[in-house]
Amino acid sequence: MRNILKLILKYHFIIVFILLEIIAMSLVVMHNSYQNMLFFRHTSAISTSISDHLPAFEQYFNLKKENSYLEDENLKLKNELEKIRTEIRFSFSDSLAENRSFDVDYVYLPAKAVNVTINRTKNYLTIDKGSNDGVNENMAVCSYQGVVGMIKNVTNNYSVVLPLINTSLRLSAKIKKNNYYGSLQWDGEDYRYSYLRDIPFHVNVEQGDTIVTSGFSSIFPEGEIIGYVESVDRVTANFLLIKVELATDFNNLYQLYIISNKNREEQTELEEKAYNE
Amino acid sequence: MSNTKYILHTIILFAIQLFILDNIQFHSYVYMNIYILSILILPITMKKTSVLIFAFLAGFLIDIMSNTMGIHAAATTCIGFFRPLFLPNNSGTVEVATNRRKERFGWVFNYMFSLTLIFNVVLVMTETFSFDNFGITILRILFSTVVSCVLMLLYYFIAIKEKQK
Repeated sequence: MRNILKLILKYHFIIVFILLEIIAMSLVVMHNSYQNMLFFRHTSAISTSISDHLPAFEQYFNLKKENSYLEDENLKLKNELEKIRTEIRFSFSDSLAENRSFDVDYVYLPAKAVNVTINRTKNYLTIDKGSNDGVNENMAVCSYQGVVGMIKNVTNNYSVVLPLINTSLRLSAKIKKNNYYGSLQWDGEDYRYSYLRDIPFHVNVEQGDTIVTSGFSSIFPEGEIIGYVESVDRVTANFLLIKVELATDFNNLYQLYIISNKNREEQTELEEKAYNE
Repeated sequence: MSNTKYILHTIILFAIQLFILDNIQFHSYVYMNIYILSILILPITMKKTSVLIFAFLAGFLIDIMSNTMGIHAAATTCIGFFRPLFLPNNSGTVEVATNRRKERFGWVFNYMFSLTLIFNVVLVMTETFSFDNFGITILRILFSTVVSCVLMLLYYFIAIKEKQK
């Protein structure tokens, strides 16, 4: 306090000068309409430019919240879309579908990746949803980029996913533009690329073609993006080996969603029955 | 200069300013301000802060009379602030040191011109309140400074300065 007083005393001349100038300038701005107009034109320009830029900064603080809203919204829309698809299918159906309720086939649940490995031949992925959340084995897992894998083991709160980059996963996939299908299996090397086999040699495949799920397995809905054709080789006489650049970046996984097929059990039961006969 | 004489000069200067110069519509390029001489001729020994406050009040008075709220006050406060820079450091020695007429005139002219220039810079800039047409602003500052300086020197040498022997 004493030091502050000393300081004020030492610089009292400058302080008085500044005070008087401030008084004079505020008088100028308050009582002269021309200066007032100019002053407030400039200050309002400054304040509007600040208030223009401020929301851009504030947005960053809300990104997380915003993100989760979008996520929820996205899932809701996906579920809605599934409902509409079902309705459309039934409305154009030529079967005797009157008794069937308009039940959706696929339900989407949100999940987050908690542990990912990418550098082994049998990679696994752990997610934070388990049987308590209604997750079962053999459900599909996708990210917003594309297919991730299918659920292998389930505990109460966690599930282990068998991702595309595990050599023991074989997935039925097809070329989107002409619906030829083959099986996708990883070679255990680069986590960015997988290989699609069993496509006949006469099929026209070009670099950049989209590879999607076929929907045969009853795990994945049809048309989920797996990746894009990187290169095509004819290794055997009759079949092509297509190198696929995976759409999902396994090194950067966080937001996932689980897709459960309600009619899966019915389908597998029926198929088993048929095979066993 | 005695106090009564000084007060008399101040009153006369303000009267000239308010009743004569403010009524002359010379040109928008020229502001004639003689009253700041009353700040310039304050005793050298007077306290800096007192000069500052006196200067503010003088400018404020002119502001009230000529309805230019704050503009003159801002400018005269600047004079009060910069005045010590142009005064000789050892108070009172100026009379002794500069005996010769030529040197004395040179010092008075220098002192008056510098402070009038500062005054007019602040005055005109505050009145214009923008940097548009800056050339015109500078011209106004220069013309006002020259005219005010001439008027003040005239007054100084006619009325205030004691005759040399």
